[in-house]
Amino acid sequence: MWERTGGRLGKAYLVFVFFVLYAPILYLIAFSFNAGDTMYAWEGFSLDWYRELLNDERLLVIALNTLVIALASSILATVVGTAGALLIGMSEARRRRETLLLLNNVLLVSPDVQIGISFLLLFTLAGIALGEGSVLLAHVAFSVPIVVLMVLPQVEKMPKTLLDAAYDLGASHRDVLFRVILPYITPGILAGFFMALTYSFDDFAVTFFVTGGGFSTLPVEIYSRARRGVSLELNALSALLFLLSFAFAFGYYWIQRREMRPRSEARR
Amino acid sequence: MRTLVRFFAFVGLLLALVVSARAAVTAKYRAYGENVLHVYNWGDYIDPALLERFQEETGIRVVYETFDSNEEMLAKLRQGGTSYDVAVPSDYAIQRLIREGLLLPLDHDRLPNLRYIDPRFLDLPFDPGNRYSVPYFWGTLGIAYRPDRVPFEIRSWRDLWSLDLRGQVLLVDGPREVVGIGLQTLGYSLNDADPAHLEEAKALLDTLVPNVKAIVGDEIRVLLAQDEASVGVIWSGDAKSVLEHNPSFEYVIPEEGSNIWFDNFVIPKTARNVEGAYKFINFFLDPEVAAQNAEYVGYATPNREAFALLPEEVTSDERFYPPEEVLRRLEVYLDLGRDAVARYNELFLEFKMHRK
Repeated sequence: MWERTGGRLGKAYLVFVFFVLYAPILYLIAFSFNAGDTMYAWEGFSLDWYRELLNDERLLVIALNTLVIALASSILATVVGTAGALLIGMSEARRRRETLLLLNNVLLVSPDVQIGISFLLLFTLAGIALGEGSVLLAHVAFSVPIVVLMVLPQVEKMPKTLLDAAYDLGASHRDVLFRVILPYITPGILAGFFMALTYSFDDFAVTFFVTGGGFSTLPVEIYSRARRGVSLELNALSALLFLLSFAFAFGYYWIQRREMRPRSEARR
Repeated sequence: MRTLVRFFAFVGLLLALVVSARAAVTAKYRAYGENVLHVYNWGDYIDPALLERFQEETGIRVVYETFDSNEEMLAKLRQGGTSYDVAVPSDYAIQRLIREGLLLPLDHDRLPNLRYIDPRFLDLPFDPGNRYSVPYFWGTLGIAYRPDRVPFEIRSWRDLWSLDLRGQVLLVDGPREVVGIGLQTLGYSLNDADPAHLEEAKALLDTLVPNVKAIVGDEIRVLLAQDEASVGVIWSGDAKSVLEHNPSFEYVIPEEGSNIWFDNFVIPKTARNVEGAYKFINFFLDPEVAAQNAEYVGYATPNREAFALLPEEVTSDERFYPPEEVLRRLEVYLDLGRDAVARYNELFLEFKMHRK
């Protein structure tokens, strides 16, 4: 009996939670189609704000900057982080493994503001000019621990006997890495990539400190525009980004699902 | 492995696509080559059409960056990781930049349009002789309120303490502003740093707490426009936008006096395109340009000729272009030095934490 009422309650609760999560976003998106120029009142349907957005070159360049940084930094972070996770996961010495993991996790929980300031100081000391390069470096750096965290469980789940078997059958180190280990931990790598992508995409605090030289990303730009009241142009942009996020999420699940299949088919 | 390779090949392709899209959008900038000017200004504080016009007329490409607090701007200028050619800080921030030797002295001969600036807005205490800065916009701090919801006419800071305003007042989130209200109500200067006077102001402010609905940042405009409160202590430019969206509001500059602030052009010492910086500043001092910019931004222009070009209904509005006698009561914030700033911050924090 509990199960039935619990199920209904549970469903109602779920609906409620999703409503709370999605209502503000949907409200924002709805107003991107407003003919008026404020969020105070609905004045009819129009696509004016989307047109304005497409004509706002500066904002478009900034949106593209954000994408470039997100894609490039998550690719680099995935490579570095996967290597790191393999090193930590394969490490025989328990003590060392735990220390490395701890150091990794400290970075994950440290406040973004602190990381941002540290980067600013470092870049200043090293004489690195602020701009696209500094933002990319910072994003790679804060994404690596995330990738490590996503890949490590897969590495640890991997049976050691699998590797032994591979070596017994005459595989070289190279073969083991590319034909056994990497395929096995692929779901973790993909998850790490997508996590890094989203982290980079919406990072404000770190980016805020390391932008410069005319280079800016969307979160930073939106924040400075919000000061003078948010134009509905930003609603339009948010609507498009929301679609993009959906595409990312769907892409991820699609790949994950496909990833599950080949392994069972491989037995043929 | 094949999945991974395929996946990252796809991502790489996507990246290449985005990069080339960006190159396509910025292609026309390449014509400008190295002739680039880095401008650092407040968010949405310039008419983009004028930036375009400047680029076309001079062939100098403007890279426009924004900040949203003087402190942020100071930090970036001090850090020196990027070189800005023109920045637009406010009065006390300019004073600090001058003291720290971060600004380039201006050659007034290269700014012929400086003569259009109203002399009242030149030679101010934060930069005597305008050796380092040129006025861009100015404004005041005052009280926006709805006369139809407040049973009396608000004229002074003291009116904020009225029992009728219980839980009705929004305050801007700024130590200088809020502590300043206490100081001015007591008849002290906005730049008073005497610890005893500050304590006194703080004690007075504590009695204001029952009337305060919230202490908020820039969202104060939206909150007022949407009638979340009937009274707000607010900057004149913000007040203007509130009045535009919600005509029931009125804006007053308290009779005890208030703060008048200036945002000025400066050229940081690290500037690389000094030639372009002079051209840029001079361009925005041009009366016609300044008038168009003032209509876009909504703050008051210090440019006398531009003022004459603005529509009568704008310039006759004494709320935003206050008459001489009101101006005389207004004070510019001076940089009080590190200790006094710390004391202001501390008192403001205590005020914010004060329990009703």
